[in-house]
Amino acid sequence: MTPEARVSQEGRPAGLAAAGPGTAAAPRARAPGHLADPRRTSGLVLAVFIAPALLIYAGLTAYPAFRTIFDSFYTIEGLERVPVGLANYRALLADETFWIAVRNTFVWAFVAPLLDVATGLLLALALYAGVPFGRFLRVAWFAPVLLSYVVVAILWMWLYNYDWGVVNVALRGLGLGALTRSWLGDPSTALAALIVTHAWKWAGFNMVVCLAAIHSLPSEVLEASELDNCGWGAKLRHIIVPMLRPTLLNLYVLAFIGKMKVFDLVWIMTGGGPLWATETVSTYVYKRAFNWNTFDLGYPSAIATVWFGVVCAAVILLNRVFRARERLEY
Amino acid sequence: MSAPSPLPRRFGRGAFGRGALGLVIGAYTLYTLGPFLWLATMSVRTTGEISADHYAWPRPFHWEQFRIAWVDSDFATYFWNSAAVVVTAVAAVTLVGAGAAHALARYRFPGNRVIYAILFSSIIFPPQITLISLYQILVDYGLYNSLIGLTLVYVSLQLPLTIYLLEGFFARIPQDLFDAAKMDGYGDIEIFRRIVLPIGMPAIATTVILNFIQLWNEFLFAVVLITDPDKRTLPIGIRSFMGDHFQDVGMIAAGVMISVVPVILAYVFFSEKLIRGMTAGAVK
Repeated sequence: MTPEARVSQEGRPAGLAAAGPGTAAAPRARAPGHLADPRRTSGLVLAVFIAPALLIYAGLTAYPAFRTIFDSFYTIEGLERVPVGLANYRALLADETFWIAVRNTFVWAFVAPLLDVATGLLLALALYAGVPFGRFLRVAWFAPVLLSYVVVAILWMWLYNYDWGVVNVALRGLGLGALTRSWLGDPSTALAALIVTHAWKWAGFNMVVCLAAIHSLPSEVLEASELDNCGWGAKLRHIIVPMLRPTLLNLYVLAFIGKMKVFDLVWIMTGGGPLWATETVSTYVYKRAFNWNTFDLGYPSAIATVWFGVVCAAVILLNRVFRARERLEY
Repeated sequence: MSAPSPLPRRFGRGAFGRGALGLVIGAYTLYTLGPFLWLATMSVRTTGEISADHYAWPRPFHWEQFRIAWVDSDFATYFWNSAAVVVTAVAAVTLVGAGAAHALARYRFPGNRVIYAILFSSIIFPPQITLISLYQILVDYGLYNSLIGLTLVYVSLQLPLTIYLLEGFFARIPQDLFDAAKMDGYGDIEIFRRIVLPIGMPAIATTVILNFIQLWNEFLFAVVLITDPDKRTLPIGIRSFMGDHFQDVGMIAAGVMISVVPVILAYVFFSEKLIRGMTAGAVK
């Protein structure tokens, strides 16, 4: 179909397109009911294709989300609903545990992505430098991304085990027995221990993305720097990092979103303890909703609502700041 | 340059640089694979042997650990629950997502981009915003503590990502193919079934594998929506087993291996597809 023919039909309602005579395309519509412009179709066909997805979205994502926001103005114990206005939100402001959870989550979400992205970039550079077995290494380094948090958590609880975990065994072997500790049981190290575990799982993801981005850099630039006898430190600082800027910032945002939601790892490894040292907003919502001796679902709904707003605002803000205008995953 | 090498890849210069690079690479490989291999050795040793020395090589290999985990420790139940939920959910989400992705990628209609944006935006939602209400809704409809309820929730969880990945691919199928099919008298459903699905198969395969792994590993919704021990999926089954038998390291390791095997198999056969699927959208 010619562009003009398509434009000529742009304005008319879809249902009339087939019946309408006089357009260049009309004779091509062989069977009645087939619309002339292949980019258009009847509402019925669209409904068949899209309605199931919209129904699932409406019933299992949009409705629950609105209901949570609505519920945040109530106290809900079993079948009893008592409207309390903004009381849940006022209680939230005074809830010290909530603020500790917010602080921990923010530390995790803002700081840890640097670790992830930097590790990923360095690994990608190592592969780019052309090491033997590059393909194998790429697959091997990516593997932890695919393990479930339950598996990762169990593995790292054992690695951090005080008596026989590899961390303490290695420290004792090196004669640094004084540094051994219960990494997950000590409030001063528990959060850092979890952040390291999380980075272990996700570094491979960042590596693969960085590697793809490096390979798509124009090779002339790197060749020119090579001719100028540019050291790899300088090359990294002046060429690779600036040119990969969009990718790196995008990865930062993705990691940020992931860490704002972090639940599984914390819940299994420390349960938010010791002394709330690793409590995140997600674990706190879960605790208040399903694991607390009060059965009120209104208050955790208020936390979830606030956090929903914070995550959306933070993502929009980061996108603005980084000008990463393209679409994001996760 | 004399040799026309495709790219000058000389970050590590000289023997020292090469050596340092090799050392770093070896260390990192040990760091990623080491813990997993350690887990694998423990899964074929009895807990008694493990507490004697946590780092010894299995001697002999106690393969019966897997039989005990599978039969006596209920991991078979968890495995089949996981398999039923995940396979059904992945099949449903692929079909529903492919239909929506096709319509959004191919047809012009008012609100197309709005619908796409709405479906897609939920990808950044923190799960808690739906979690508490989904719990109440499923209780209301008698789907709480049921594998059917969990399957429905899983479909909704993976729908945005599926539509996002498939829409991107379907939109790149040349319009000429559709024009030609129209002229040959294909109906809209036929076009979807006989053109979009076969041509989109690589992308569909990617989303299937990706959704499979993400749902196989899913923990939060399963732990909230399932309480009955007979209905546990693998992640919550392992976790509850660990809660009850904290000291039984060998048996936990065997259970973990059982849960990881399907993921490893998928990865061995489809590593490229998986890596591409997981990183789609992040590369600029």
